[in-house]
Amino acid sequence: MDVRSQISMVFHLDKCIGCHTCSIACKNIWTDRKGAEYMWWNNVETKPGTGYPGKWENQDIYQGGWQKNGKGIELKGAGKPKSLTNIFHNPNMPVIDDYYEPFTYKYLDLIESPPGDDQPTARPISMITGEPMDIKMGPNWDDDLSGSPDYARNDPNLANLTPAEREAMFQLERMAFFYLPRICNHCLNPACVASCPSGAIYKRGEDGIVLINQSVCRGWRMCVTACPYKKTYYNWSTGKSEKCILCFPRIESGQAPACMHSCVGRIRYLGVMLYDADGIEAVASADDADVVDRQMDMILDPFDPEVIASAKANGLADSTIAAAQASPAYKFVKVWDLALPLHPEYRTLPMLFYVPPLLPVVASVTEVDNEEQAKKMNPVGKVWPDSWLYDTTTKELFGTIDDARFPLKYMANLFSAGDTTQVSDRLKKLMAVRLHRRQITVGDLAESTVKEALADTGLTPQTADDIYYLTSLAKFDDRFVIPAAHREQAIEMMEFTGDVRGSTGFGFENDTAKRGA
Amino acid sequence: MRLLSLSIGLVMLGLAAAPTRLTAQESSGEAIFQQKCSACHLTGSDRLVGPGLAGVTTRRDPAWLKRFIMQPDQVLASGDSIANALLLEYQVPMPNIGTTDAEAEALIAFLSGAEAAGESGAQQVAVAPATEEQIVLGQNLFQGTTRFSNNGPTCNSCHEVTNDAVIGGGILARELTTVFSRLGGPGVRAILGSPPFPVMQRAYQGTPLTDEEVVALVAFLERADAEQALHQPRDYGIKLFGAGVVGVLILLGLYSLLWRGRLRGSVNQAIYDRQISST
Repeated sequence: MDVRSQISMVFHLDKCIGCHTCSIACKNIWTDRKGAEYMWWNNVETKPGTGYPGKWENQDIYQGGWQKNGKGIELKGAGKPKSLTNIFHNPNMPVIDDYYEPFTYKYLDLIESPPGDDQPTARPISMITGEPMDIKMGPNWDDDLSGSPDYARNDPNLANLTPAEREAMFQLERMAFFYLPRICNHCLNPACVASCPSGAIYKRGEDGIVLINQSVCRGWRMCVTACPYKKTYYNWSTGKSEKCILCFPRIESGQAPACMHSCVGRIRYLGVMLYDADGIEAVASADDADVVDRQMDMILDPFDPEVIASAKANGLADSTIAAAQASPAYKFVKVWDLALPLHPEYRTLPMLFYVPPLLPVVASVTEVDNEEQAKKMNPVGKVWPDSWLYDTTTKELFGTIDDARFPLKYMANLFSAGDTTQVSDRLKKLMAVRLHRRQITVGDLAESTVKEALADTGLTPQTADDIYYLTSLAKFDDRFVIPAAHREQAIEMMEFTGDVRGSTGFGFENDTAKRGA
Repeated sequence: MRLLSLSIGLVMLGLAAAPTRLTAQESSGEAIFQQKCSACHLTGSDRLVGPGLAGVTTRRDPAWLKRFIMQPDQVLASGDSIANALLLEYQVPMPNIGTTDAEAEALIAFLSGAEAAGESGAQQVAVAPATEEQIVLGQNLFQGTTRFSNNGPTCNSCHEVTNDAVIGGGILARELTTVFSRLGGPGVRAILGSPPFPVMQRAYQGTPLTDEEVVALVAFLERADAEQALHQPRDYGIKLFGAGVVGVLILLGLYSLLWRGRLRGSVNQAIYDRQISST
């Protein structure tokens, strides 16, 4: 057993309101620079939709991730022979138009224009050329199903759905969508690391954060092709590739990453998980049907004495093990089995997990008689003449889950390599928790119904309350359990700290890091 | 970056300092003569490239002599009759090799001393006829297929010789096909032994040619001179350009075959094409 620690994330999709605050927080801190204008290390997508960059999930186009071959797995679009023959022309690279041409507006024209007959306007200008441009695309152009025929209907995850199922998804009044916030998954088997000809990308030993060393990167851009989530980006100004760094300077000082800290819906959880690194190759080479279960099996129980002993033998600090025991990510992923990785079939073993959204699955629209209700309204109040009710209650236990307007198959394509039982198991648990809480707070459900629902999903009332607490009431320190970074130990391994006692500045070995090229 | 500029600075400092770092021994007239003049001149009356210098201090006005030693190009350009007559006779103009005032004085003192000593100056070395191996070696050295043992630069980076065996020499310095008949064996040998021309001096500073290499090169240049009429390197003219165009087309074809599955344009192109442009 080779126990290592990984900072892992859980995004609770039922809580995401699609406000893009996370994206803005990240943009302001990290990618508000020349050459990085088009990058969104954190972005929020509407599903169904094609996302950013367009159709990133279609690996027939972008050739990202791993694929099985006879013996094990190989990179789909990179790897030694392919990288060598394509080193001066990488044929599967996304172009700027696949992302979008970054733009701003000439705001100064609004206040500096000479007096005239017309109001001055702020024209859009390209942040690459500085010339006036037509805005053709943005990082969330398909937000809230806008332009559905172009975006939602071209979602690669619709691939295995029957035409009837697809049509049902896009019927007026039945349309549903949810948000999918995405950052780098800090995978256990990262394709970007494997593809780098310069050896510039590495997975940090102490917490598993995947980073690109800007001094070693030579801009071959094999990682841009190899990452199936398209979460490495090429900076055209510095000539190097960049990606989400999970705000490691914040993590090291005990703060939550900016996207998580700023999250309005409080959908994000962060914590340490211990895993067995010996199993990475075997798990990544497993069959599509098994890859989710086997990834879950890799994650170890931080209370197991054997695991703790191996962890200590590997040099993990006691504080890290304690953080793993308190980790909200471990609870969601392992203890409660509520979260799933995004696109496990890419075989990178992503360590960012999603609690699948229940709401669009179970909500339905029914026709009701609103007349009595409308009479009670104040005469000056606006009365909508329609009689539709957006109904999130359910009379049957789990009937609506399998018979939902949002096909389970679609969710399964996203989160479990097409295995619908994985998704429905988790949705049933979410539903059982909801029924349990409804029985407590509203009390309009029969006790037997709730008991049956809990028993069906293997939850106890206590567990259901724990899930409810961490989902709805969790405080900041419950959502983010950040282990001490122990940088002092790392620094003391490299140099004698007495040499710089009394000096100012951060960083060791090299001078203080400089921004930019 | 700092290291690079420092090392460049050091090299430049070294170059600037080199000419001034003459020891007493080196600054003697004889040493200067050996270093700067002996490539073309003998102290006796025999002609080498330029005239033999026996009796030159009595033959010429001392002031003129000093000026000619220091700035022969300016004297020639001024239309000086003696200088022009010498050029007519010896064909090769004497190069300005940057002789300083003190060096010129030392040289004149040395030359009048040599006269007084009655030195014959017959320094001609009897040269055995070159072997075929030496000629081939000279050819290889000239075009750089064999390196000079002291790692000096190859001849054809600056010089050209009309010879079937040599492909495309440089055009930075004189064309050397007829150098043997122009300067004769001793002259070529002397120039190669200690180059009198400033650029060539600088190029071979610290990396002089060995005696065997000089003999081999002279042998090759003699052969090239003698057989120049028989050698006509082919001129491909427009065909060379045509072959280049065909080669490019073949490569482009190969690449488009090799990368036929590449991404073309944007995945959003159909959407962009439909959008209305404001311009």
